[in-house]
Amino acid sequence: MLHVTWKGLLAHKLRLATTAIAVLIGVAFMAGTLVLTATIGSTFDGLYADINAGTDVVVRSAESVSIGQGFGDVRAAVDESILPTVQGVDGVRVAEGNVSGYAQFVGRDGKAVGNPNRGAPTLGFAWSQDEALNPLRLADGAPPSGPGQVVVDKATADKEGFAVGDQVTVLTATGARQFTVSGITRFGKVDSPLGATLAVFDTATAQQVLGLSGKYTDIAVAAAPGTSQQELAERVQAALSPSFEAVTGKALTAEQQSQTRDALGFFNTFLLVFAVIALFVGCFLIYNTFSIIVAQRSREMALLRAIGAGRRQVLGSVLIEAVVTGLVASVVGVVAGLGVAVVLRNLLAALGIDIPASGLTIEPNAVLVPIVVGMVITVLSAYFPARRASKVPPVAAMREVQVDESGRSVMRVVAGGLVLGLGIALLFVGLFARPDNAVAVVGGGAVLTFLGVAVLGPVIAAPMARAIGWPIQRLRGTTGELARENAARSPKRTSATAAALMIGVGLVSFILILWASATDSIRSTVDKGFVGDFVVQSNAGFQGGLPPEVAASLRDLPEVGTVAEVRVTAAEVDGTGTQVPGVDPQGFGTIADLEVRAGSLSDLSRPSTIAVYDQHAKDKGWQLGDTVTVVFPATGPQQLQIVATYHDQNIGGNYLIGLPTFEANTQVQLDNSVYLKLAPGVSAEQGRSAIESVTDTYPNAEVQDKTEFADSIVGQVTSLLMLVIVLLLLAVVIALIGIANTLALSIFERTHELGLLRAVGMTRAQLRSAVRWESVIIALLGTVLGLLIGLFFGWALVRALSDQGFGGLSVPTGWLVVVVLVAFGAGVLAAVFPARRAARLDVLTAIATQ
Amino acid sequence: MTAATTTAPTAIAARAVDATKVYGKGDTEVRALDGVTVDFPARAFTAIMGPSGSGKSTLMQCVAGLDTLSSGQVFIGSAELSQLSEKQLTLLRRDKVGFVFQAFNLVPTLTAYENITLPMDLAGRKPDSEWLQEVITTLGLADRLHHRPSELSGGQQQRVAVGRALASRPDIIFGDEPTGNLDSRSGAEILTFLRDAVTRMGQTVVMVTHDPVAASYADQVLFLADGRIVDRMDEPSAERVLDRIKQLGR
Repeated sequence: MLHVTWKGLLAHKLRLATTAIAVLIGVAFMAGTLVLTATIGSTFDGLYADINAGTDVVVRSAESVSIGQGFGDVRAAVDESILPTVQGVDGVRVAEGNVSGYAQFVGRDGKAVGNPNRGAPTLGFAWSQDEALNPLRLADGAPPSGPGQVVVDKATADKEGFAVGDQVTVLTATGARQFTVSGITRFGKVDSPLGATLAVFDTATAQQVLGLSGKYTDIAVAAAPGTSQQELAERVQAALSPSFEAVTGKALTAEQQSQTRDALGFFNTFLLVFAVIALFVGCFLIYNTFSIIVAQRSREMALLRAIGAGRRQVLGSVLIEAVVTGLVASVVGVVAGLGVAVVLRNLLAALGIDIPASGLTIEPNAVLVPIVVGMVITVLSAYFPARRASKVPPVAAMREVQVDESGRSVMRVVAGGLVLGLGIALLFVGLFARPDNAVAVVGGGAVLTFLGVAVLGPVIAAPMARAIGWPIQRLRGTTGELARENAARSPKRTSATAAALMIGVGLVSFILILWASATDSIRSTVDKGFVGDFVVQSNAGFQGGLPPEVAASLRDLPEVGTVAEVRVTAAEVDGTGTQVPGVDPQGFGTIADLEVRAGSLSDLSRPSTIAVYDQHAKDKGWQLGDTVTVVFPATGPQQLQIVATYHDQNIGGNYLIGLPTFEANTQVQLDNSVYLKLAPGVSAEQGRSAIESVTDTYPNAEVQDKTEFADSIVGQVTSLLMLVIVLLLLAVVIALIGIANTLALSIFERTHELGLLRAVGMTRAQLRSAVRWESVIIALLGTVLGLLIGLFFGWALVRALSDQGFGGLSVPTGWLVVVVLVAFGAGVLAAVFPARRAARLDVLTAIATQ
Repeated sequence: MTAATTTAPTAIAARAVDATKVYGKGDTEVRALDGVTVDFPARAFTAIMGPSGSGKSTLMQCVAGLDTLSSGQVFIGSAELSQLSEKQLTLLRRDKVGFVFQAFNLVPTLTAYENITLPMDLAGRKPDSEWLQEVITTLGLADRLHHRPSELSGGQQQRVAVGRALASRPDIIFGDEPTGNLDSRSGAEILTFLRDAVTRMGQTVVMVTHDPVAASYADQVLFLADGRIVDRMDEPSAERVLDRIKQLGR
């Protein structure tokens, strides 16, 4: 029997090859993702190990606030007065205060270097005097000394053409200042750690310019010979109050490494979702290919049964074929995955995230998991066709091969309806009831919805294919009619082929609808809620911002009426880590219409106050005047009184605090953005040029009017969702291979029929055209189903998120038309190979009687 | 059969001159056709007979433009087939030639009517409705026109195939064992239609068969053996054909 299987494999290698490609793509993407994240992980592991190599103990604030999502813990700086205490501990060879914060160079072109919001961080440091504690190694010049000197990392120096002795501008929390480059440094062996830019000052200068006067971010300690890290940590801890903690270098490294792993976990999961979608689509292709192959070989199967092969043997022979296909595809896929990882890595390098070329880190799981998944999926998808093969009665050996043209059965309608119903129910439960594992429930619901439609597919495929093909028949006559009838003749096959495309198109159109709805909501929110004229953005996200002197200078402008700065800090509110904005209490309320429901935003000018989104307050059971516990990294737990509730969550978020409260509880003051309203009678042009006269000194500041402000928010949403669509194209490509494969197999089956058509005068061009239109009909069928599902998903999600700022469903008709046109083109493309094959058919072989 | 209308052919519908078809090379060389020169008179019914491997199917396929010769010439009307491109050959088959095969005659996704008009539909031409009506009536297919081939009996399917071959009023109709898969009654029906097409409608039919009874419907029978025409017989009868076949078999 094995021998027969082997021969079968060889005989169908072309057909199995396309199946293998479907598995291969998904497996390669999965393996590539795993290898890449492992590589990034081990690179960061190495980075932290290098940074902390000479550090035996670190002293830092014990209080930490975590806002999750891989941002790590945020801690207060420590007072510099404890340094002598640490230095005095027995076994300390040397102890130094570290200072780090936001610092961004201004390039020769006058633009800020790097973008900490999207790329690697832009960091300011204090130069460490101790060789062991300092991971930096000068490549040129001298260490920084005095308030006017800075050392630049070699990568930035090379890119911007900075040399020792040059004057450079550095943006920090305390403003834009000129420094002289005293030296150029490397980080260990690399020019820059993962693309970050480094501005290194002497310790006093760093404290002053980074906004940490009298403070250290933490204190690094190196042990005297003979003292272990653990011993030293215990001794240092004993010398300090419990508000500080002394951790060993090893523990710190482990902690930083695990934080990176957490952050990578999101990235990993995000990419793996697309690998899983690709494999899900691949399942349809495998199922379909095996179904068709088995049907075409039913005579061969029957013959095997007739000469004494058992059912299990027939089942086994098909399954072994699947195992071999799956194994070969998965192994090749894993190898291809290494290529995918390299491509992704180069892509990241192009984005400025330079992962040092330390080779790829291949963990056993990155090889084993994709191979096992690829094989299991192939075998599972081939199981049902294999079982059908084993049921072929021996007598079928004597019959003509019949193509399965059935589609409707009561069983199918009932089963499909049940699966679809369950899918939709899960989707609604996940979206509206919001259980703890909502994402998993919604995901499961979506998968079942797709499966349900796929099961029902054969029932609707024939009439739908005829409907879609109607205009084609009108247009193309006989060729069109042949295409239409061929697409409709084998509903199971057509529907499984179309279903694969349906998934990709469904998800793409869902994302497009989500994008359009989010965009419209953002625009209407800005339109309604933002009553100012301009916004000055730092574009530095959480990692930096504008020095407060920008807002102060803007306030002095006669053209500007109201100024409201917005800062952000990490804080734990009622036990949950989050980002809390601090706003100017007077100005913010006038520039942003938050729909205040109770109290007044101007009361935020009182110390220890907070304003809360009214719905959130209701959920928490909070009333105006209640106090809420907020833990700030710098000051620890604080009792804040609720002085206002508001209804517009899109602008306000869940919480707002006033600048007095913010400044009292945070160390570094950096404005994330500054909202402006012009003085009465000042034109937009006058206003803008006045504002730019201030911001010109700060190249990281971007002046936006209301439309540009909305555009910039929309832009962020757009780039994320476009990335998702690009990754979904993977699934679409697999579906196209599926269409090509089905057509090729069908053409093989129709040899006689095609030969007849050619004999009675169908030209090659006409035959190609018929195959092409058949392909287009199948592609459009999948597209129509996909669009319907995408619309449904979009509608459901927008409804479910209506309390989170979604105004309503927006259907991007133009883009959906583009989807249809692309599907049309893809159908044409998928038909190229099968059509050529059909046209090349030898007329004589085709009409020869068997 | 009334000889008067058919024994005086006024023109040649198709002609093979020194037609040679060689398969393989050297030791494995097979001469399927070995210098065949023959005329197929217009408005006549010609049957080609011969034992298996005699080259009768090859001759028909080459004359019909389905296959190409190794050397020699084939004419349909005034067109010399070796001079035609693949596309021109296809169009010639579509417009000037009709076919009735032994099996796989019909496109399963098209109705009987659509199958009949297929060559004209492919050409984008309107069928001559009067002629089409006559063909359909003669073949007794009027109440079967909107059925798919799977809903028709074998005899009905072959009648549709004959209908298709006649519908475009081609210069010549080729039949390759058109009755091979039919019971004798349905076979006789088909042969009568072909005979009528020649006698009443003035068509030209060339048919390959191994059945002496089928051959007896023809005006003349050509006997092939080893790729050569070894004999011909006018106004054949089944018995005489059978006798001759037996001689050839020896």
